[in-house]
Amino acid sequence: MSVVEISGLRKHFDAVRAVDGVDLSIQPGEFLVILGPSGCGKTTLMRMIAGLEKPTAGSIHIGDADVTELPPRKRGVSMVFQSYALYPHMNVYNNIAFPLKAQRREKKFDRATMRGKVEAIARLLEIDTLLDRRPRQLSGGQRQRVAIARAMVTQPAVLLLDEPLSNLDAKLRANARDELKDFQRSSNITAVFVTHDQIEAMGLGDRIVVMAEGKIQQVGTPQRIYDDPANEFVATFLGSPSMNILRAQSHRFGFRPEHFLPKTLQDNPNNSVSFDYFVKRVEYLGSDRLIYGYVGGHENELTLAKVPSNVRAALDIENEYEFAVQRENIKYFHEASGERIEAQMAGADW
Amino acid sequence: MGRLSLGSFPLDNRRLIGALFLTPALLYIVLLVGFPFILSIAFGFSDVTVGNTDLSFVGFRNFLAVWENDIFRQVFETTIRFTLISQVFILIFANILAVIFTQDFTGKWFARFIFILPWATPVSLAMIGWLWMLDTKYSSIDYLLLQLGLLGRGGLLSDNRNLFWLAAPDLAQISVIFVQVWRMTPLATVILMAGLSSIPTDILDQAEVDGSRFMRTLLQIKLPLILPIMVIALLFSMITMFGDMTVVYVLTRGGPVDYTRVLGLYSFQVGIEGGNLAQGAAISLFAFPLLLAMAIFMLRTASRAEVR
Repeated sequence: MSVVEISGLRKHFDAVRAVDGVDLSIQPGEFLVILGPSGCGKTTLMRMIAGLEKPTAGSIHIGDADVTELPPRKRGVSMVFQSYALYPHMNVYNNIAFPLKAQRREKKFDRATMRGKVEAIARLLEIDTLLDRRPRQLSGGQRQRVAIARAMVTQPAVLLLDEPLSNLDAKLRANARDELKDFQRSSNITAVFVTHDQIEAMGLGDRIVVMAEGKIQQVGTPQRIYDDPANEFVATFLGSPSMNILRAQSHRFGFRPEHFLPKTLQDNPNNSVSFDYFVKRVEYLGSDRLIYGYVGGHENELTLAKVPSNVRAALDIENEYEFAVQRENIKYFHEASGERIEAQMAGADW
Repeated sequence: MGRLSLGSFPLDNRRLIGALFLTPALLYIVLLVGFPFILSIAFGFSDVTVGNTDLSFVGFRNFLAVWENDIFRQVFETTIRFTLISQVFILIFANILAVIFTQDFTGKWFARFIFILPWATPVSLAMIGWLWMLDTKYSSIDYLLLQLGLLGRGGLLSDNRNLFWLAAPDLAQISVIFVQVWRMTPLATVILMAGLSSIPTDILDQAEVDGSRFMRTLLQIKLPLILPIMVIALLFSMITMFGDMTVVYVLTRGGPVDYTRVLGLYSFQVGIEGGNLAQGAAISLFAFPLLLAMAIFMLRTASRAEVR
């Protein structure tokens, strides 16, 4: 059984369709990442799950209950905002205790129980020595933990996280990502994490929901989404540098720069498709060489190749080389809709 | 020319343009605040009158004379009492109205506009309006009460056809305080509204997800966060009111007897109408150290409460 069941969910702001028909079920204990460019509706979707926005149409179920019309406090969800939204005038203890105090009448617990809960979650997140501090006296990483502690103290059915890592500096972020994943796994909480950062999404998500223009483009494991994109948007949105897309007569096809290598390096040259590749510029990136050029017959379409540095083959600018891609690494897309199509349908017989 | 020469045009000179931008403010402060202030200090320590404008130094004689004057003491006490009582009401009303005006409802723009009018109207004009409404004989408020049967023969409030708003000691004081509250609440409200809308929406959304309802969010989140701004609003309206004379000058001239005489008016009556410039100056200067101490104290409190 799923924890959250969303069906036919829409949110229109006047003419803008922020969320335009979303169906999604979230499984217990999973780490679900909603990934998409800014303005794709991912934050609006999360705010509707939290109850901060009222849907234009559709329904949201959490557990057994239809919560579509319920206010946030009756949904059993909690949320960590991008800014952490700590109450600046309260110390850490009171910040974490705030949701408990707010729900005290419904949940009926006394002061001692409350203190016990706050201290337990603070210990778990290793902020139990900071309880008397004010938010401004904390580092970015500590603030994040306080925000998570406050969200977790009520033992919510779902924890919603709105880009909580984007306020941390790059060095701290990798560490915080790791801790967050550990914490989610050990507490077995169902987490929904919104981000526009594909590396965060790939690293954290048990499943990823890719959104664009208010619609879900694809739902799947990170590997599935990367290796088997449902359409051209997903194919080009994930991966850096993004997938090369080339035009053919009645369709488009694409392959990732790291799959585009000199023919001699292909494991299985007989099962590959060859291209004449004209090298225009080479960037040395340490672990890889990033090559800018174009393939024969597609002189107007910039095509990139990412060649590992341990490949010593000479690749000089203004020269032409024979490059190839494994057949299964070429994806075909419908000309009008951008949906994935099979190689046979594309009429490709390399 | 190899590069753009920035110093060629006179207005590109940083020092010149800086001076140019500061001059109007500086002129205003020096001519309309600084000069009269220095002059009143000079007057306060001299024996100047309207008839004899020679300034000769007399030390603290004016201040001592004023302090030993029973009328002055009563005026001083009235001023403080009026100011404090009206601040309480201003704060309560301003908080309620600011919360209302920062909610979403239809006609909000119009309601805000109507509401700001008391503050946007010139004080003297507004006071003439109030003078009519509170008139001893032709008061429109009395007329309404009369129609409702609360005044006149067998009326609940009085058998008389009038309440004598500005002539009865208690009612006159209440009227003056009420009009002051009416006049000062909009400014305090606007300042508090600015404070409320400066609270990050994330914080309020967080409070909502945390399960907090309206009153808890108001008392435990919103009000503590706008406390520093509330102190500023209070300071503004207190200082304005403490030195004000227009309201009582138009409505009561300090009467009946001395019941509504406040510091600003008394200083004007002694100094200008009575011609004793030196004593008038000394009276108005009595408020200065008090207001200064209050301003320092409140601004310190505000900056200490500043948490963001």
